[in-house]
Amino acid sequence: MTTYDKADYKESFVVKGKLALPYQYFAGRTGSKFLIALRDKKKILGVRCNTCKKVFVPPRQTCEKCFEDLSENWVELSDKGVVTDFTVVRYAEPHQPVKPPYILAMIKLDGADTPFAHIVRGVAPSKMKEGLKVQAQFAKKTTSTIMDIECFRPASGQFELGYSYDELEIGMSASFTKTITETDVYLFAGISGDFNPMHLNEEFAKKTPFGTRIAHGALPQSLIASVLGMKLPGLGTVALEINTRFLGPTYFGDTVTASAEVIEKLEKKRWVRLELRWINQHGKLIGIGDALVIPPAPAG
Amino acid sequence: MKRNRNVGIIGVGQSRYSSHREEVNQPEMIHEAVVEALAMAGMTMDEVDCIVHGNMELFEMVHQPDLWHTIGTGAFGRENIRITTGGTTGATIACAADNLVASGLHDVVMAIGFEKLQEGHTTGGITNMADPLWARQLQTGALTGMTAAEMIEEFGEERAKKASMKYRILMDENCMRNQKAHRRLGLTMDQADDLMVNSPALVGELRMIHMCSQSDGACVVIFASEEKAKQLGIAPAWVKDHITAHREEMFCIFGREPYKTSMRYCAEKLFERNNIKDPRKEIDVFEMYDPSSWWGTDWIREFLLLEGDEHLKMVENSDIAFDGSFPINPSGGVIGSNPIGATALVRVAEAALQVMGKAGEHQLPKPINQALASGFGGTMWTVLMLLTKQPPV
Repeated sequence: MTTYDKADYKESFVVKGKLALPYQYFAGRTGSKFLIALRDKKKILGVRCNTCKKVFVPPRQTCEKCFEDLSENWVELSDKGVVTDFTVVRYAEPHQPVKPPYILAMIKLDGADTPFAHIVRGVAPSKMKEGLKVQAQFAKKTTSTIMDIECFRPASGQFELGYSYDELEIGMSASFTKTITETDVYLFAGISGDFNPMHLNEEFAKKTPFGTRIAHGALPQSLIASVLGMKLPGLGTVALEINTRFLGPTYFGDTVTASAEVIEKLEKKRWVRLELRWINQHGKLIGIGDALVIPPAPAG
Repeated sequence: MKRNRNVGIIGVGQSRYSSHREEVNQPEMIHEAVVEALAMAGMTMDEVDCIVHGNMELFEMVHQPDLWHTIGTGAFGRENIRITTGGTTGATIACAADNLVASGLHDVVMAIGFEKLQEGHTTGGITNMADPLWARQLQTGALTGMTAAEMIEEFGEERAKKASMKYRILMDENCMRNQKAHRRLGLTMDQADDLMVNSPALVGELRMIHMCSQSDGACVVIFASEEKAKQLGIAPAWVKDHITAHREEMFCIFGREPYKTSMRYCAEKLFERNNIKDPRKEIDVFEMYDPSSWWGTDWIREFLLLEGDEHLKMVENSDIAFDGSFPINPSGGVIGSNPIGATALVRVAEAALQVMGKAGEHQLPKPINQALASGFGGTMWTVLMLLTKQPPV
């Protein structure tokens, strides 16, 4: 019986080696035609098997099942398709086309029967899903390779919805910051019809407790709409209630940060309550409040 | 070896051989040969039971090319066996295909050998095969000037150089009759003196002109049972016998000690069990895996079990020429076309074409009843396959 003795390892050399194995690959006339159409016309071509009716992308000379020569059966395909499978590449290797992490997906173009591999950008890995409609984004500079399609991105007309009820957790927060200018105040006066001289007339404003013009209270307050509607929970959110208590004025030129934090999940209704805060550039709390919202339905 | 039943070669297909086949990818190139072989056998892919596929490992840097190649091979849904035994690959897949039919496992087996040497790095791949600790530094890929040095030592510089050069020019003359051959240079005998001095030296007296090419190409041979061949109405080239011998040592590990080559070892065994007393009379054509015209010349002595300078005389007297008494490589041989994984299968294919009378422009002008094909690879490995016009009894 062979015995295992770790001491044997100590006395044994390991010979390290490295050999270069350069290679090239002949794309052939069928593969080349595909690449030329991609490069010169930004068109994606496939071939159809007239026996089994399958459309292959990338093209191949022969249908392996019907053994039919497909090299003349060209069809032009849409630059849009659907993700059939995907993975997220998180490890780094020198040969990779882009820096990880990136999404590698199998994309079946509209009109094709076979999916092919490419990179999907513009979607967070956590939001990636099968069935996503994507569109080819062609590279600005050609390399005469499949990378003449730089990547696929979510097809236009699709929106990335915000966090669903289940994705939201207590403690999640988001904010939006903006400097409130005189222009903003005048525009807001026009929008709201509130031409109160305390906002628009400096001489009048000097006589108020603030001593100068201040912004409408609803102007900094409205900054929370972009947080709730576009960040947390995000697109698809319906606001039910926004309560605000104003604690201090906003002067022209003040920079206001409106923030929201999830504080309660109402399981029964699947609504979410958020605590709201408005802070100016001096760190002074100028408003507090809370909001009740319906988060977007889960994606897909 | 016990054969359960007779096996015949009923179809041969070859792609065009060239240094560059840029217009086709690997499966597309193989497809050319598959289609041609099926057409010759008068069958469709549906009648093929099994595919034996092979090439050199690492040469194109594609792992398991047999899987990807199903697009061109027609292997989809069929038993598909990949075999790779270095330079002998083509011959080994022929043996395996024959075994599969002879055993009764399959009625029709398609052997596929291919290589696209232009896509890879041959020497890189070959160097990898040696022991990394002791032998890798010695590896020169497929190039060796040893045989040239030995022949010069044995027969004198002038005679040895002239013989190897004449062998080379005879092979080119054969290439000129083979439209599919890669290198068709149109050499004439009066160029011999110039070429053997002025062709670029590779190693010692092994010069560029002596050496085989690096080719892209594919070869397909269809093996069928006797019943299937009859059913198709084809007179096949029958597989009479085959033998394989692998040597472990690098050339000669015992220094300058004389040793029996695997070529001679195989030939002795094969001739003995097939009752061949005088191979030069009983074999009508020999398709030899001749990696260089030095090896080609030297190995005639080994394969034909000759002594002294008889092999040189065969070259000097043009016995091995197209119209000679013992023609070697009417196809032009390996010096003309060398898609390595296919090369040894091309020898079997070309021997079969000669037996079947279907070699076209390079069909020998005499009856071919028995043909011999050889494969070479690794550290002096040999495979021999014997084909006959009459079914073995």
